[in-house]
Amino acid sequence: MRSQFLAMMFIVLASAATADAQSTPKKPPAIINPAPTAQDYADLAKLPDWSGVWNPKITDQDRQARTNPPPWNEKVAKEAEKMWADEKAGRPKLIFYGCFPEAHPSWMLVTHNAMEILFTPGRVTMLGESDGNRLRRIYTDGRAHPDTSDPTFHGHSIGHWEGDTLVVDTVDILPQAPLAISEAVGVPNDGDMHVIERIHLAEKDILHVDLEITAPKILTAPWKTTRIFFRQRARKFDIVEGVCQTGDYREAQDDNGHHIFVPVEKTEWGNLVAPK
Amino acid sequence: MTKHLNSMAVLAFAGVAALGIASVSAHHSATMFDHSTTMTINGEVVELRWVNPHVSLSINGIVKERAEDGRAVWVMEMTSPGNLVRAGGWRRDAVKPGDAVEVEFSPLRDSDRKGGALKKVTVAATGEVFTANLREQERPGLE
Repeated sequence: MRSQFLAMMFIVLASAATADAQSTPKKPPAIINPAPTAQDYADLAKLPDWSGVWNPKITDQDRQARTNPPPWNEKVAKEAEKMWADEKAGRPKLIFYGCFPEAHPSWMLVTHNAMEILFTPGRVTMLGESDGNRLRRIYTDGRAHPDTSDPTFHGHSIGHWEGDTLVVDTVDILPQAPLAISEAVGVPNDGDMHVIERIHLAEKDILHVDLEITAPKILTAPWKTTRIFFRQRARKFDIVEGVCQTGDYREAQDDNGHHIFVPVEKTEWGNLVAPK
Repeated sequence: MTKHLNSMAVLAFAGVAALGIASVSAHHSATMFDHSTTMTINGEVVELRWVNPHVSLSINGIVKERAEDGRAVWVMEMTSPGNLVRAGGWRRDAVKPGDAVEVEFSPLRDSDRKGGALKKVTVAATGEVFTANLREQERPGLE
């Protein structure tokens, strides 16, 4: 009797252990980003020199907004025409609301602010000015896009060098991120946007970003366009912190003498409410 | 000063409530201003808001083209601090409250409101001039 009881207990415990093993699959090994070697750092010197600060050619953004518009689908084309009309009438639609990042690729397309590009082993980093959260990480370590989509404002970018051209492939951009051709004309991409960029020096101090944008929810075909940036080395061009939300406030002091921000008011178009 | 600012905020809030205006900040287009028109205000600086993405300058003065309005506070908007430093030679202390200034600006299309896009400010005491056209940066190697 006692031996039968022990045998049953053994079977129960063994079954429980088996079930436990089946419900918690073995954890895959962590993927490690290896520490850069001295050679990795030395190899950076072989890349083209993109140091300095790059400011955009805004007049060319303006020109292309009219001469090379995206192939909007029929519905969005009507929306865009209304936005053009509203902007012309002095009622510009606020497409970059709430101080969210302009996002990718609109940062490249319509920015009025400078950026810098940093090379480190396995990565290219683009840092922008003016909304404090303008940052692109472009992985050049050979990784693929993740299996699971987790959209962000700037998406997931992987890059590789073809000669002196950095080719960047970006997916997983939030559907809310606008595809903008001006600060008042643009619509949310609504998902599945894919951006390929070829970034290269067109001249010693002129950077071109050639973009091919596929956005099946709003475009009828891939849209190709180029954006132009000028290199500056004068120290006054150094990127400064720019927190967009400060635009909603003014500096003040509270009753205890502490420095604080107090809100100001904006119109539906984003400018300050001026006095009557 | 604090009470003054708080009063301004309260007044602004009241205006918002009355007009149903949302408080939203962002990079925005500047076509609410009539860029085909230039006006000039002479007066004293009330406040420089050195903030992103749009700096603003308030002036208590008289607009030459709107002399019938008498002395009043006008609010001018500009580009970002970084762009003003580079394109217009600005500093955070380029103008200070109380400074006598002359400002050229494009007015709001809504002529009921006293606002504009600043094109140029001249400080009376020093003659210093600061501009706000960020498209003046469109070549490499600027100093």
